[in-house]
Amino acid sequence: MSIEVSGGKRGLTDPVIAAQILAAIPDKPLETQRKMNYFVTPRGRRLNEYEVLCCYTQPTPDWIAGGLDWGDWTQKFHGGRPSWSNESTEMRTTDWHKHRDPAFRWHYLYVKDKAEEWRYTDRFLKAYSADGHVRSIDPVWRDEVLGDYLGAFGFSEYGLFNSHSSVTRDCLGDTIRMSTAMIGLDKVDNAQMIQAERTFLAKIVPGFNESTDIPKAEWTKGQIYKGARETVEDIWQATYDWNEILFSGHMIYDPLFGQFVRREFFLRLSAYYGDNLTPFFINQMQLYHSQTKGITTDMFHTCLSADTEFGEYNDRLMRAWSDKWLPRTVNALKDFMGIFAKIPEIKGVTSKDAIQAALERVFEDWERDYAAPIGYKVDTAAHIKTILTGLK
Amino acid sequence: MAISTATKAATDALAVNRAPVSVGAQEVHKWMQSFTWDFDKNRTKYSTKYKMANDTKEQFKLIAKEYARMESVKDERQFGSLQDVLTRVDAANRVHPKWNESMKVISNFLEVGEYNAIAATGMLWDSASAPEQKNGYLGQVMDEIRHTNQCAYINYYFAKQGQDAAGHNDARRTRAIGPLWKGMKRVFADGFISGDAVECSINLQLVGEACFTNPLIVAVTEWASANGDEMTPTVFLSIETDELRHMANGYQTIVSIANDEAASKYLNTDLNNAFWTQQKYFTPVLGMMFEYGSHFKVEPWVKTWNRWVYEDWGGIWIGRLGKYGVESPASLRDAKKDAYWAHHDLFLLAYAMWPTGFFRVSLPTAEEAEWYEANYPGWYEMYGKVYEEWRARGCEDPNSGFLPLQWFAENNHPIYIDRVSQVPFCPSYCKGASTLRVLESNGKKHSFSDPWGERMWLSEPERYECQNIYEQYEGRELSEVVAEGHGVRSDGFTLISQPHTNKDGKLWTLDDIKKIGCVFTDPLKAL
Ligand SMILES: [Fe+2]
Ligand SMILES: [Fe+2]
Repeated sequence: MSIEVSGGKRGLTDPVIAAQILAAIPDKPLETQRKMNYFVTPRGRRLNEYEVLCCYTQPTPDWIAGGLDWGDWTQKFHGGRPSWSNESTEMRTTDWHKHRDPAFRWHYLYVKDKAEEWRYTDRFLKAYSADGHVRSIDPVWRDEVLGDYLGAFGFSEYGLFNSHSSVTRDCLGDTIRMSTAMIGLDKVDNAQMIQAERTFLAKIVPGFNESTDIPKAEWTKGQIYKGARETVEDIWQATYDWNEILFSGHMIYDPLFGQFVRREFFLRLSAYYGDNLTPFFINQMQLYHSQTKGITTDMFHTCLSADTEFGEYNDRLMRAWSDKWLPRTVNALKDFMGIFAKIPEIKGVTSKDAIQAALERVFEDWERDYAAPIGYKVDTAAHIKTILTGLK
Repeated sequence: MAISTATKAATDALAVNRAPVSVGAQEVHKWMQSFTWDFDKNRTKYSTKYKMANDTKEQFKLIAKEYARMESVKDERQFGSLQDVLTRVDAANRVHPKWNESMKVISNFLEVGEYNAIAATGMLWDSASAPEQKNGYLGQVMDEIRHTNQCAYINYYFAKQGQDAAGHNDARRTRAIGPLWKGMKRVFADGFISGDAVECSINLQLVGEACFTNPLIVAVTEWASANGDEMTPTVFLSIETDELRHMANGYQTIVSIANDEAASKYLNTDLNNAFWTQQKYFTPVLGMMFEYGSHFKVEPWVKTWNRWVYEDWGGIWIGRLGKYGVESPASLRDAKKDAYWAHHDLFLLAYAMWPTGFFRVSLPTAEEAEWYEANYPGWYEMYGKVYEEWRARGCEDPNSGFLPLQWFAENNHPIYIDRVSQVPFCPSYCKGASTLRVLESNGKKHSFSDPWGERMWLSEPERYECQNIYEQYEGRELSEVVAEGHGVRSDGFTLISQPHTNKDGKLWTLDDIKKIGCVFTDPLKAL
């Protein structure tokens, strides 16, 4: 039969089929509007590819703010709870579809960047090892700080990573969902980079222990990460409001505790101990941190705080959440101060004045970029004072 | 080892060997399982009657960066082909018009499935306790974002380059009008994300992906190619490369609960429900898209179905899970019957309701009719004759004032919607197994077309409360509904959907529909 195409004949290349197809095609296109998603409000001057490919992929009913669909869910949870619903968060908005990743990364662009980072990591490690650089690392720093305490910090990143699972399930917008998965993946990437560094050290320093046993004991039983661990556990598993999970993790805990540990401890100090390896990895984490900051400040400030109808309410809620999560984060930092007793002191670098200056940098950044935009008043000096009492 | 000797050892080692050293993904991954820790509150936020084991492993041992590397290689290849040679040969304008229309639906509806799979696997990532199992689900979360973007890219590409952009360019705004949408949401959206987490995994991975992905994603590339479309195979085959990971995830879900007592009690019931849920929509809709949405035919749907669903999945794949107590679903035999006539029954209704679509549909040509009759003897008596009558009454012509829906009314063949699957059916005019059952609850009537779905409703009616299109549009005039749902082209009055793809055929406008005065009435009210 002539219309049944056998043997994998292709309509594009088989001359007989191709001729029939061409004869059926209208002489001129039937529609002049060729822009997909032309009805979407662009963030910038014109709709970009990210907005075309991502916006309104979620079938949201119109009783969830910003939705284009109608009616109810076709199947619900046992007991009748809806698939997605407004009561999954205390936040309110006129449009859950408003968020944009400021870098406009859809999947292709996101993995492209990370793939480049991986290839470059591989080349860097080869050069680093061949260069014999590892000889210059202070042995206490290498075996105790990197081996144990950097390893233990990996659990903080891993726990935060897992806090994104329920947000990926529950959140109410498509661009938010994609952003959440991406910033979540960056967190597990951080945990894996920490392990990669330790495994790498084990390969070039005979006797270096790459096992996760000691770091895990430090994380679960030690004093240095006690406050951090308890906070991460609560963000990950004790918080159900998906906005609060993102807020507590990315607007309070990570920009304070995470930034101090990564930037002001490992990154700043490593050079003093002859360690040029750790900055390579931490700098990647800092890149992810800044990309994440772009995403979460877009969600919480550009969209929710600036919402025409609910902005003030959202600000009040975020201030309440700050009241809840800031003391825990301060406590985590206070516990972390114990680490300075474990390393050989370098005057003006690891002494109290330098630690205080480092804390001031982190808190100043936080106050400017996270607290002020929601009108949150913070007594930075008092918090730093509390934290410094943790110095042994 | 003491610190100073370690430094010396490192120095000595370097003296002997300075070969460049790096770290491979596997060397990092082997520590993954130890990344978690026990604490009081460590439990999933999504209830399940099953317990997933703490030591479950994954088969694809990826870390984040290696994942990104592998995917970006595939992306470069795929988008390179689309943007380069396929654009230069103007491939989008060498696709048969009927298929151009089918891709409006296939790609956009699949996009919904991919999108909801992001949330579904987010839930599974939360539910699993073993870090490796979490990692497997995480990989899938990222894949499903990829697939969402890829499906979108097809519509984006066809809109920008092709012969009829309407529907490709705004499916996300117009898709909700018609009768196929709600059923799609059940199988591709809510079925993946709303329920017991393991039940959702079974819906998504064990049935959706392991069973229907092959016919959907692989077979569609053959139909596409036959009809001149090389964009879809370029993208869909690249999607398919990720699906192995997803099927492996479904397999691991079962492995992780195999030793749990709950599995012996509930697993086969959940599997049977999931299979029926998925097949109830996919069996007719995929068959319809392939056979009625193309001009050049690859093979009869019933053959594809038997090969992929009945033999490969029902036999081999489920057989492999036999050692974990998994049995072939009891509803498989009934589904097999659906694979023969259900898509023909559905197209009759879908064509009749054409103004509510976001794509153009066409009546079978004489050549096509011959093909249907040869492959489905008895087709002409039941369907072919009706299409001939509709065509003779001018159903393609806007001046005729005739919508095939009128034929159903004139002949007293009411069209109902199945409450559980949301799939329309016409019990008095069908060759498939649809039967009408009507139940009343809290003063509301519910129609059902098969006993499997009815049983799901009877045990948990609160899960299936969704209004159907009659309840939504009751008493409203058709053109009004279409206009409100943005079912018109950029001129503001010509419908996106049309009852033909004839190149010289006239296009219907809102006025043409309005003149007919078609009003939605719920047939259940007459009972
Ligand atoms: Fe997918
Ligand atoms: Fe998938």
